[in-house]
Amino acid sequence: MSDITREAPITRAAKWFDPRSRTINMVGFILNRITALGLTLYLCMHLIVLSQLAQGPGAFDTFLANIHNPIFTFLEVLVVTAGFYHGLNGIRIVLISFGVGVRYQQALLISVLVITVVVSAVFAVHMFSF
Amino acid sequence: MNESLYGPKTGEGAWLWFIKALTGVLVIVILFTHFIVNHFVAPNGLLTYAEVLKYYQNPIIPIMEILFVVFVVSHSLIGLRGIILDLKPSRSLLTAINWVFTAVGAVAIIYGVWLILTLVAKGASS
Amino acid sequence: MSAIRWTVTFQVFRKKGEQASHFDEFKLEVDPDEYVLDGVERIWAFHDHSLVYRHACHHSTCGACGMRVNGAEKLTCITPIRDVTQDGGVVRVEPLRNFTLVSDLAVDMGVMYKHMDLVGQHPVNLDTNEAIQPEARPAGPTVDRPDYLRLSDCIECGLCVSACPITASSPDYLGPAVLAGAQQGGILGDAQVFHLVDSEDGVWRCHSAFECTAVCPSFVDPGWRIMDLRRQVIAESFRQLFGGSNPKETGSKEASK
Repeated sequence: MSDITREAPITRAAKWFDPRSRTINMVGFILNRITALGLTLYLCMHLIVLSQLAQGPGAFDTFLANIHNPIFTFLEVLVVTAGFYHGLNGIRIVLISFGVGVRYQQALLISVLVITVVVSAVFAVHMFSF
Repeated sequence: MNESLYGPKTGEGAWLWFIKALTGVLVIVILFTHFIVNHFVAPNGLLTYAEVLKYYQNPIIPIMEILFVVFVVSHSLIGLRGIILDLKPSRSLLTAINWVFTAVGAVAIIYGVWLILTLVAKGASS
Repeated sequence: MSAIRWTVTFQVFRKKGEQASHFDEFKLEVDPDEYVLDGVERIWAFHDHSLVYRHACHHSTCGACGMRVNGAEKLTCITPIRDVTQDGGVVRVEPLRNFTLVSDLAVDMGVMYKHMDLVGQHPVNLDTNEAIQPEARPAGPTVDRPDYLRLSDCIECGLCVSACPITASSPDYLGPAVLAGAQQGGILGDAQVFHLVDSEDGVWRCHSAFECTAVCPSFVDPGWRIMDLRRQVIAESFRQLFGGSNPKETGSKEASK
């Protein structure tokens, strides 16, 4: 529609993540995209790391012992947060795409955000006290 | 006026989106089951190699995990392709991406299935 | 109008031709109940005749005066100054995003208008919210018919296009206004419109950000309309798969029921 074609892809992509002067709805979109990319990265790492399992008991048990530290636990909580947000928002999008609850889409988004925060807090407490 | 408006489209149509939505929902269902079973039903929560191997002997588990790999890899790649389409790549670039993603998806799924079956085999022989 | 007077700084986006853009500042004495457009007009009238901007009806029916005010899309003729700043504050005025700039605050809406023509916008039955197709419209004046009182809500102001994160990155995305127009005009009776909508430049580029609905000054709710289009396209695709009739090829409305 415009001069956008002259802009570099990275410049255009950066615009997706700019929340300035936007409503909460935009935050929903941004978080969905970020969690999608984050979870994809996690999926890659997870698949690679799981090859440790095929190597036998020593490798697996050593690995589990190594990740039993606060930094890794924090990252795992982030994965849970991302997974919950992306999953719940995904359900919201499927619902509104089939005409269910479109009028309440913003309320649904806020519910998704609240549930994600609460669940993440519960998981964080659980995982850090483990 | 955009000449390509009526030209042939790449096939980002209803079906691809529907599969993305469907695999997304299926991932949630399996993830939920996976979590409950792995951490609450499995004895001791699968903290050692031996426990994991024993757990994979129940045929439902590898089946569930294989389905999980298929659905999550598909959902991720279709989603990534959608993000790339938001940047309006050229026809030739998109064709290349289609091939690369299909290959990556196939490799990831084959690798995942191989890993799962390896675990089953190891558990059976131990 | 009260006798209150605020001193407000207007920062106005300026760009002519290939020059680099910049902001010009104008300190204005305003009544806070005046509209942002009034401020822009005063700047043109008394300070800088080279300022280019669009305006017409001044009562939110023509859709000409859409701009970004402090970053957010607004119809400036109905945006009171007190809604966007306070006494001593700043009002930053910029053109809409995702359109080619003509000059200063005016953008080229031509592509959007052309696409609107393609998908057709028809008067709507007030009770059923369904588009009244051309064949069903009576000849002669319709001024006394209650079901013709409601025309399409969309005033083609382009705020939704400016707000959409996908029109920001994909130059060919039809955009919320055009898709909303397609939904109102109906897609099942026209193969060309159906294919426009069921494509990578159509509904599948929407990721439900709903910024379009948030900024629309005219209650069009393009977000809902695009979701409805998705539902229709999926339903039609399933119908095709299970050997249903092919209404979008024949263009027949009866077969689609």
